[in-house]
Amino acid sequence: MNIDFRFIVTAFFEIMKALPLTLVITTVPLLIGFAIGIGTALIRLYKVKVIYKIADFYVSFLRGTPLILHIYIVYLGLPLLFDVLAEKWGWSIRSNSIPLIVFVFVAFSLNAGAYMSEIIRSGILAVNKGEIEAAYSIGMTTSQAMKRIVLPQALMISLPNLCNMFVGLLHGSSLAFSISLMELNGKANVVASTNWKFLESFIAAAVIYWGMTILAEKVTAILEKRLRMFIKGGVA
Amino acid sequence: MIRLKNIKKSFGKQMVLKGIDLTVEKGEVVVILGPSGSGKTTLLRCINFLERADSGAITIGDLSVDCHRATKKEILALRRKTAMVFQHYNLFKHKTVLENVMEGLVVVQKWPVERAKERSLQILEKVGLSQQIDMYPSQLSGGQQQRVGIARALALNPEVILFDEPTSALDPELVGEVLSVIQKIAREGITMIVVTHEMGFARDISDHVVFMDNGVVVEEGKPNEIFHAPKEERTKQFLKRITPEWRYSI
Ligand SMILES: Nc1ncnc2c1ncn2[C@@H]1O[C@H](COP(=O)(O)OP(=O)(O)OP(=O)(O)O)[C@@H](O)[C@H]1O
Ligand SMILES: [Mg+2]
Repeated sequence: MNIDFRFIVTAFFEIMKALPLTLVITTVPLLIGFAIGIGTALIRLYKVKVIYKIADFYVSFLRGTPLILHIYIVYLGLPLLFDVLAEKWGWSIRSNSIPLIVFVFVAFSLNAGAYMSEIIRSGILAVNKGEIEAAYSIGMTTSQAMKRIVLPQALMISLPNLCNMFVGLLHGSSLAFSISLMELNGKANVVASTNWKFLESFIAAAVIYWGMTILAEKVTAILEKRLRMFIKGGVA
Repeated sequence: MIRLKNIKKSFGKQMVLKGIDLTVEKGEVVVILGPSGSGKTTLLRCINFLERADSGAITIGDLSVDCHRATKKEILALRRKTAMVFQHYNLFKHKTVLENVMEGLVVVQKWPVERAKERSLQILEKVGLSQQIDMYPSQLSGGQQQRVGIARALALNPEVILFDEPTSALDPELVGEVLSVIQKIAREGITMIVVTHEMGFARDISDHVVFMDNGVVVEEGKPNEIFHAPKEERTKQFLKRITPEWRYSI
């Protein structure tokens, strides 16, 4: 068997057309997951009555199961739930009009939220306790201290891990093809099978993922460098 | 005026404060001395509720709080009448020197940013840090960091500033600059409660000295009385141990 190198280039540009979709299904869940992650981390840290049990379960279950199953379960389960609710509340739309991408958003966001809550939680715990006391000593409320002193530092500390999260999600987004969403991996499969050039197509797709990953790592490195000044900390 | 009444605090089975009474007049500088583990830090932390005392009462100005029953609101009100300077500075690492000092004015006291900045700059000048306002804590020496800590407390114009061994984490050559700043603000009539092991400094700065041991106030009085004519045996022993050079210099 020989490789058609020129087709790799052709495939590359063809598959690139799906990059925007891949970026959308990576960044949107990353942002939603970030919000979920902060909320979940705070609920678990402050042990908010009753719901912290739910939060514990959520994190444990989602981190304990593979992403592909989250996609399947959301894809199959969400319509059922939606229809029950639609019936009850008298909505006019039914689950069959939910766009495919919504399932991906939901599954990926839930997945990312669970992982990010752990990242943010350890970031919060890593913030110097003395600074929190200092915040209280100047009369800040708990939420002022959290917002002004703890979270900014926790996020700086978490930044490298949050960037890794982006890379993980970027690669994980290739699973969206399992419910027929035409992102990079899906596009690669289509290009591969219509041209009977599988290896070339997948190599092209791999190069695209790799390139995006390197880009993400570069951005992380720059951000980290700019933040290192504070993280390094004082003399004490 | 500040009044502590019968403050008690235990950690588990260990009773660390066994009923402390203390009165501090407005403008007075009170120095608390005592061996390690006697409960000095705990006492300061009970005053601003970083630690909640098990029982007792705290009065600062017109606000009286029962330690055991204090509500969140009361605790907040009490904290807003006090400020603390920490042994390890505890500066906000992600904020510049100026931002560290402005933070309380803007966020807690809701000052307009411009006014807060003006006041903070004045205070930073007073502690000798006009050149460092845009630096981050990690770029400063320990002595400079502690002076920021003092400026942060001072900016809030609290009724009392609590100092917990403000120089004990510093290299010896940096102690002087911090002590002289504290001395300077003491002369301006700011009420202070100071825990320190710097005996010379304690003698110079204090209006009133309290000697604590094992969770109780053993003896208190004017600095002259405590340093030169202590009545209690435990005070004598402590002073002898901590200031052996005095025996020669007096
Ligand atoms: N959070 C805590 N949990 C348990 N025990 C504590 C706690 N904080 C203080 N203690 C104990 O209380 C006692 C008094 O401590 P404290 O820090 O108030 O003493 P100190 O007089 O400030 O001593 P030093 O001069 O060493 O700073 C010590 O035995 C200490 O181990
Ligand atoms: Mg102490």
